[in-house]
Amino acid sequence: MSKRRVRRSKPKPPPQAPAATAPSEDPLEILRARARKQAQELDALPDPAGFVGDDEGDVEEPYEPELIDLMKGWRHGRATRRLSEALSDGYVAVFSLLVVGAMLVNAVISAQRLVSACETAQCLSARALVPIATLLAALALALAVSRLFGPVVASAAEGFWLMSAPIRRGRLLGGRLVTVLVATFFGSAALSALLALASGSDWWSVGLWALGTGLGATAMVAIAAAEQGLDRRTPTRVAVAVFGAATVAVLLALVAQSVGWLHLGLTPDLTHRIGLAVAVGGFVALVVGVVFAWRRLNRIRRVRLTSGGALVAGLSGAMSALDLGLARDILIERAAIERGHVRSVRGGPTGRKVLTDRARKQLLRHPQRLIGVAVSVVVPHAISALGLPVLAPVVGALALFIALVPTLGELRVLTRTNGLARTLPLTTAQQRMALMIVPAVLAGIWAVLTVPAFADWGGVARGHNWFDAVQVAVLTAAAGLLGAVRWVVAKPINWNAPMVATASGALPSGMLTYVVRGVDMVVLITAPMVFGLPPVISFAIAVIVYIAMLGYFDIEKLQKKQAQQMELAQQAKSQARGGSSAPKPAPGANPQRRKKQRR
Amino acid sequence: MSKRDVVLSVKGLGRSYGPAVIVSGFDLMVRAGEAVALTGRNGSGKSTVLRCLVGADTADEGEIEICGRPLDEDDVEQRRDLATVIDDLDFFPDLSVVEHLDLFARAHGVPDPDEMVDEVLDQLQLIPQSGQLPGTLSSGQKRRLALASAFVRPRKLLVLDEPEQRLDVEGVAWLARRLKAEREAGLAIVFASHEPVLVETVATRIVEMGAPADPADADAQFEDQ
Repeated sequence: MSKRRVRRSKPKPPPQAPAATAPSEDPLEILRARARKQAQELDALPDPAGFVGDDEGDVEEPYEPELIDLMKGWRHGRATRRLSEALSDGYVAVFSLLVVGAMLVNAVISAQRLVSACETAQCLSARALVPIATLLAALALALAVSRLFGPVVASAAEGFWLMSAPIRRGRLLGGRLVTVLVATFFGSAALSALLALASGSDWWSVGLWALGTGLGATAMVAIAAAEQGLDRRTPTRVAVAVFGAATVAVLLALVAQSVGWLHLGLTPDLTHRIGLAVAVGGFVALVVGVVFAWRRLNRIRRVRLTSGGALVAGLSGAMSALDLGLARDILIERAAIERGHVRSVRGGPTGRKVLTDRARKQLLRHPQRLIGVAVSVVVPHAISALGLPVLAPVVGALALFIALVPTLGELRVLTRTNGLARTLPLTTAQQRMALMIVPAVLAGIWAVLTVPAFADWGGVARGHNWFDAVQVAVLTAAAGLLGAVRWVVAKPINWNAPMVATASGALPSGMLTYVVRGVDMVVLITAPMVFGLPPVISFAIAVIVYIAMLGYFDIEKLQKKQAQQMELAQQAKSQARGGSSAPKPAPGANPQRRKKQRR
Repeated sequence: MSKRDVVLSVKGLGRSYGPAVIVSGFDLMVRAGEAVALTGRNGSGKSTVLRCLVGADTADEGEIEICGRPLDEDDVEQRRDLATVIDDLDFFPDLSVVEHLDLFARAHGVPDPDEMVDEVLDQLQLIPQSGQLPGTLSSGQKRRLALASAFVRPRKLLVLDEPEQRLDVEGVAWLARRLKAEREAGLAIVFASHEPVLVETVATRIVEMGAPADPADADAQFEDQ
């Protein structure tokens, strides 16, 4: 039993009356005088309790597996789900997996049918580069995500209650590391297999590259965990940049190969051997990474564990509401906090141009945002090179849409809450127009650079003539830009509004359309081109979407105005009848009264 | 605009959330050079009134006019005249403190924005944080930045919701002196506050929310109880 030392409160001297001074009108003096008086009053009170001393006696050493079992026991004891409900959820999950799987298989078969036209040596060699590009992208992604979250994380509660205890963290965190590694392996392998299948690779190649990509990405996560133990970020950051650049280089090589500028001569046999080498190398890297990560688990700082946990919790909340915008906001805020400080850039124009100027400065501050745009330029070329020119407008516009979202950060902030927009002397349309200029310039450059992808170019694409290609490129760029703007300015889901009953339970109205916002505009504008309709149709749709994006068709505002007009009409009718329709306040409501009139 | 011009006029403002009536029949007229303090217990409708005044919330009934024109949140002139610090102010995550103020000052066409920004930064003791991004500021520093955004630009009406929140003692005292000086220079101010020193120093009129409409009503309420 531990001893408790209780501090006896010393007898306090009686509170002294404050020194008589002339009353001050200075607010600071008034506040200080009030604080002094309150302090004297508190000082006169007895101490509320003693405190626990530091001589607690012998403490048993904790055994970490027992702690884990204890936590599991608590969680099971507090389970709110019955077995029948769990079975029902399982049935829905299996059914959903089957449906999604069937859709994927169907998409793969359709893609393979389309790429069957790819029979030339150039085209086949270009196709062989797809798994390599996928591998490099998976390595970059695995490292980037690992660096962002940890990859080993702990919740805030675990950080506070467990990590502060004298335990060996490695024993608590080992299971988590294994879970992350396994999830990475299956996720990256599935991604590689899917893309390899869609690009028409043979089964042996698909299996080898899936294995190699899975092992490689998992090795990267293990290495990131080892770096987490040393509390280093720079090596992973550099590695992400290297793998990202390599991905772009391979995509460019893919285009150059299909056009005939490059002759890599990749045969299926050579591709298999490279895939095998990647798998072996990935396995070795994984073993080394896991050994180092395991040995350093005890050294991971608590703040690195809990900050990743907080990020996971925030993103889980956003994703459970299918709010990708909020999830991105959380990541942006996190990156800004990590950066903390910038070299401020002042000056520039005044008035309306100030927003455009600020967007330009932000692009110069974050030039990495241009990398995404540069990569998106390659996408329509690559799609055409793979023998899928029909899909080039849709896929190209989707790639540009994703790449342009980071350049619309200021617009996102001005849209998500009205408070900041209200401080600027510009209408909503003026603000949006001003902040669309920089991305629009980027989209224009993108259109110029992608014209050849939409033309009958390289002998592979069954595309258009040059005039058509220019129109298609411009409209595709417009679709990407307007999709990005739509994604950024969409109003968040209103959880206070009445919900809609669905087979999956109650859902807020507009939740499902919220998920596909932006993509809907891309499809709407590019669909006529895909179906071979005249570009003028896409142009007309783009103009309508642009006007809507400027906020002229705010349905919510229009509905409010309509409701107000109906109410006024109702009141006028009631007055004409001699009655009053004004709602009466509920009993006990808050009538106001002017209490005091001074000066 | 002359000193006695009506800057804000509110007639019969009402706002309910479902069956709960938060504000009903609220009238207010504020002229240039006047400062009106809204006081009262939590939930008495102070913030709701302020949110309706700036267009952050829509009143169920009543009329609001700012500088003689009906309230329209998208009206450029009103955005120019009305400076607000209520709970819905957001910040650009990757703009520093000084860049925020520079942006506001230039957007409003302040003649010498650099000088104005430096002065406000100095007064609000934000110079050491001028290069910091908002996510790294303490809650009190964020509050100071929000207040600075209102002082760095021209304005005719200032609407503040509990501006003393999270400010230290020196900050509250500075705010009281600054608002008093602004009022004396002809600015119209409407603010909600629980800080007696701020209310006593700044307000020319105090509207106590949640109080009975007149003594007779109060007597009736006491009799009912």
